[in-house]
Parts: sequence; structure tokens; C-alpha cells
Amino acid sequence: MRILVIEDDAAAASAMCRGLGEAGHECMTAADGVFGLDAARAGTFDVMVVDRMMPRMDGVTLVETLRREGDQTPVLFLSALGEIEDRVTGLKAGGDDYLVKPYAFAELIARVEALARRRETGSVQTLLRTGELEMDLIGRRVTRAGKEIDLQPREFQLLEYLMRHAGQSVTRTMLLEEVWEYHFDPQTNVIDVHISRLRSKIDKGFDRPMLQTVRGAGYRLDA
Amino acid sequence: MRLPALARTTPFRLTLIFLSLFATVAAIFLAYIYIATAGEVTRQADREIGREFDSLQAVYARGGITALNQEVIQRSVGDRPFVYLLMDAHAKPVTGTLARTPVDPALKAPAETGFRITDTDPDGAVVHTQGWGRQIRLPSGELLFVGADISEGRAAVIRIVRAIEGAAVLVIPLGLVVGLVVSRNVSRSLAEVNKAVAAVEGGDLHARIPVRGVRDEYDELALRLNGMLDRLERLMGGLRHAGDAIAHDLRSPLTRLRARLEVALMEVEAGHADPRAALVQALEDSDAVLRTFSAVLAITRLEAAGRIVEPKPFDVSELAGGVAELYEVLCEEKGQDFGMELAPGLMIKGDRDFVAQALANLLDNAVKYTPGGGAVMLRARRRGSGEIEITVTDTGPGIPEEDRDRVLERFVRLEQSRSAPGSGLGLSLVAAVATAHGGRLELDEGPGMVDGKGPGLRTALVFPPA
Repeated sequence: MRILVIEDDAAAASAMCRGLGEAGHECMTAADGVFGLDAARAGTFDVMVVDRMMPRMDGVTLVETLRREGDQTPVLFLSALGEIEDRVTGLKAGGDDYLVKPYAFAELIARVEALARRRETGSVQTLLRTGELEMDLIGRRVTRAGKEIDLQPREFQLLEYLMRHAGQSVTRTMLLEEVWEYHFDPQTNVIDVHISRLRSKIDKGFDRPMLQTVRGAGYRLDA
Repeated sequence: MRLPALARTTPFRLTLIFLSLFATVAAIFLAYIYIATAGEVTRQADREIGREFDSLQAVYARGGITALNQEVIQRSVGDRPFVYLLMDAHAKPVTGTLARTPVDPALKAPAETGFRITDTDPDGAVVHTQGWGRQIRLPSGELLFVGADISEGRAAVIRIVRAIEGAAVLVIPLGLVVGLVVSRNVSRSLAEVNKAVAAVEGGDLHARIPVRGVRDEYDELALRLNGMLDRLERLMGGLRHAGDAIAHDLRSPLTRLRARLEVALMEVEAGHADPRAALVQALEDSDAVLRTFSAVLAITRLEAAGRIVEPKPFDVSELAGGVAELYEVLCEEKGQDFGMELAPGLMIKGDRDFVAQALANLLDNAVKYTPGGGAVMLRARRRGSGEIEITVTDTGPGIPEEDRDRVLERFVRLEQSRSAPGSGLGLSLVAAVATAHGGRLELDEGPGMVDGKGPGLRTALVFPPA
């Protein structure tokens, strides 16, 4: 996919683009808010990564301007400001996600891919399918290869999120934010325990494990 | 042009202001007294002269000029306090005690004037006294002048003026003294403020302004400035500590990371090692560094703000239940019993995410330090005092009483916990969150020794109710 990185730290932007390139994406950089606005208007992108604080035009103003002009490209804000209010300001301005520096690159890629995916699956679904796994969102039932799997409510939510992002890495922080709705850093990887429980339910007794651990990043549900 | 140093001081200027203020007020006051008294003397004379004219004109009306002349002669020799002069139509004196009129005879209308009376005292010496008189023209053309001796009144006025002059001379030193006293007070108070501020500017953050205890504006200023300095000192201390802490705690993992990368590079070059494994290890090490960094940052921010910026009320029972659900699995995984007693609907005001983080840290510690077969208990209740209390009790080794204050400091890790993973920031962050919510973190002994285990730790987050 095509990604526009608007970031005034040239070294960070170039590393980000190399990484996104390695992950198979096409990446373009803009060195400040004004260049960024021009680039966003000129091209079509699947996701924009926007630094909040930049010379000439800050990220919030840039995104507000784009949204006013009708540009709905998903935006991931990057910020050195981690306070809740800053996050709220960013999301109100039209940002779709918010990542606080310093962050792990795997986190950035996972979130960028999640944002792009979110756009593809805009319609309301009642049935999710990933390989042998089927999730009935109305009946709250999950089956793998036709065999019913009994899940706790939270495990159900966890699996739903993984299925919606099947094939892409999701980080522990993303899971904590999206499934549990907490914005904090758990000292121990409590998420790992929940994942291993879920894994034992969906992968036990099957030849091929679907729930993969991605080293340095998080997890991925493969079809 | 620069004023001399003294002239630029507030006391000097205040004194000048007081002086000119005193002088102006005195001058206005004195001028008023002078006008009032001096004027009164002539007005009094006018009234008496007026009555004298009235009676003389009555005589004139009855008997004409001849009767008037007679009357003037009689009155002149009589013991009356007036001087008279009757002149014919050509202004030639006819009768009277004056040789000539002090009033210009050409004036037709009744005219008034001051004049000098020359007389002899009983010893025969010539004396001059102040007079005030009025002249009118009679219907038959003659001029009649009546004057009165106003020297006594004048003398009184002169005495008053003398007194006034004396007072004015007194006012100057008085103004000077008042000005000096007032400005010295001002200057002394300001000098203390200046001294303290200069000391702070010079780097001494301990300097404070003395408070005199009289509760005036200067005390208030001193108290406020001292409060500001206290906070500044705390923040600076916090920042310095955070700086030291970050430097201290990031240096070792960063050094380790660097060493590993260096060795990995050598090994990979020699074909002994898998470059992938080295990179994965490096990633994990840098994650640990980032995690420490975030925790220090969060604590520093909380301590710097001193309070939650936009507190919102939320149900802490529900929050505790949610965080517990996150950690319950972890307990089961480690073979620990997990119990929960949450009074429903406890509301506090603050930042939900920070409180969640604090609870997670407490639960995390409890799970981490409690051996398998132990128990972790989470309780939320309202204390008798109305405060909301959330406690986490475990059956781990606990924290000896003498170390309880120390473990709240950053990066303090007790010997027994060195081997366990963690940054040493967990409890510091919890304490910072509690303080920022106007609450506190209490550490206590757990349930005691059971089967050689314990005595356990009981941590309590205490918040004021919403």
C-alpha cells in the first residue's frame, strides 16, 4: 500500500520509509506540514503517518485541513506528547490512531496496516471467516473446521479483533487498547497469558496452529 | 541623565511624594483659613459701618444736611469706634475727624476702601492703625464717609498667619519623617524579597523570604513567593532526580545492548552465530529501555503537574474489576488463588488510565512476588472516613517495615527482588498516581506467616471520594 510519512525528523522519516519498504509498502516522505499538505492533496495514499509537532504547520492543523477538504485517508498521529488530552485532541482533529514516541517500529507497522485494513472492511459484518475459523457475531458462536469452540466473553472479543486483522501483526499495546480499552503499559506481558489461553482453545487438537507469535512485534492470526 | 542612586530608591521617591502632598494640603488649608478670617474682619466692619450709615441717614432724612452735620460733630467727639468725614459737593471737608477722604471723591456710587488712621495714644505718641470705611453721596450732593478701626481684627489675622507660617515650617519635617518611616518599611520588606530572589537567581533554591507574621500584603507576597519557590524547588529536585534516574537506569541496559551488539557482530563475522538471534535479543533489550523511559516520564509528568489536569469522575469498582480480569489469568497460570471483593459503584475523580496503570502495577507486583500456591486478593470499599480504598493483598515475602518508605523511591529494588524482572519504578508510579489524585499509597503487612511463607504485603490505594 502507499503510505505518506509527514515527519520533520529526516533521519526518523527515512528509517520509517525503509522499514515500511521492507514490509512491502510504498512510502513517501514530506519534511514539514506544508509540504505534507501539498503531497497529501497531490497523491492518493492508503495511510498517512503524521507527526504532531512540525515547523510551519503542525500535524493537527494539517489533518483538520484535509478533513475539511473531504480527504478521509486514515491518519496515524505520532507524538512526543503522551498525555490523554493530547491523544483526545489528535483524535478529535480527525486522526484515526495515535502513537506516542518512543515506539517500537513493529508497533508502527502493525498500526499502519490495521488502519489501511479498517478502510477496506467498512461494511458491517455479521460473520467473520479466517481460514477454518468462523465467528458468528450475532449468535456469539465460534467454530473451527465446524467444531464449536467455547470462549469467555473477553476471549471472544480478543479473537474477533485478531480475525478482523487476520494476516497482519497486532501488538500487545494494540490489543490492550482495542480489546480492553486501556491506555497504559502493563509491566508484565499479561496479554501473553490471555493469548496463550485463546491459543489453547483454537489451536489445540488441530495440526496447524493459526495464532502465531511474531517476535519483537506481537501476534498474528493466519488463515 | 542618570539620577544618583539615592534618588532612584523607592524611599526617596515616596518621601518626596509625601512632602509635596503635605505641603500642598497645608497650603490649601492655610489659604482657606486666611481668606476666611481676613475676609471676616472686613465683613464685620462692613456690617457695623452699615448700621452707622443707617442711623445717620435716618437723621439726614428727618433734619436734612444741617441735622446730619450736627449729628456727625456729636458722634465725632463721642466715644464711638468710628471716624467720620462730611464733605460738601466739591469734596471739601466740612466736619469730621479726618482731614481728607481716603476714597476718591469722584466716585459716585457707595465705595469701600481700606485706609490708615493716624492717631495719638494717651501718651501722645503717634500711632497708625488699620481702618476700613465706606463713602456715600447724599441726595443733596454732599459726601459722607464713615470708617472703622479694624486693627484689632487685622492683628488677629496676622497672628493667625504667623501661626500658619509656623505650622507650614513644621509640616515640612513632619512630611519628611512620615515619608521616611513609611518608605523605610516598604523598602525593608522589599529588600528582603530582593535578597531572596537574588539568592534564588544565584542558584540557591533554598532561599526564602522571612514572613513577619503581621498578615499584611507583604506577608502575603512573601508567603506566595515562598510557596512558589517551594514548588519550584520540588520540581527542580524532581527533574534532577529524574535526570539522574534516567541516566542511571538507562546507562546499564544501553551498555548491555551495545556490548551484545558488538559481540554479536564479532561472532556473526566469524561465522559462529546466527545474526537473527542477536538482533532479536537487541530488540528485547531496547524494549526494556523504552519501557523504563516511559515509566520515568509518566512519574515525572505526574509529579511535575502535582495533580491530574482534567479530572473526570469514574467508577473505580468497575475499573478494578476490569484490571483484575486482566491479571486473574496470570494468577491461575502461576498456581495462585485469586479473590476479589469489590463494593459496587465507588466513584472517584481523576484519570482512569493512570489509576488503571497503578492497579495493574500493584497486581503485577503481587503476582510476581507471590510463590505458587499463594493467594492474591483485591478489595475495594468505602472507609468509614468516606475515602475510597482499593487494596491488593498477597502472601509473598512482604516488605520489611524499615524498607517501606524506601521502596516508593525510584529505582529502589530490594535485594530479594533483584532477580525478578522489573524496572524498580512500579511502586514509585503508583505513589505518584495516588498523590496526583489527592490520595496516597499505604504499605502494610499481609496476612502473616503461613507454612513458612509470608508475611505478605498489603498495598492500599486511598482516594478521596468523587
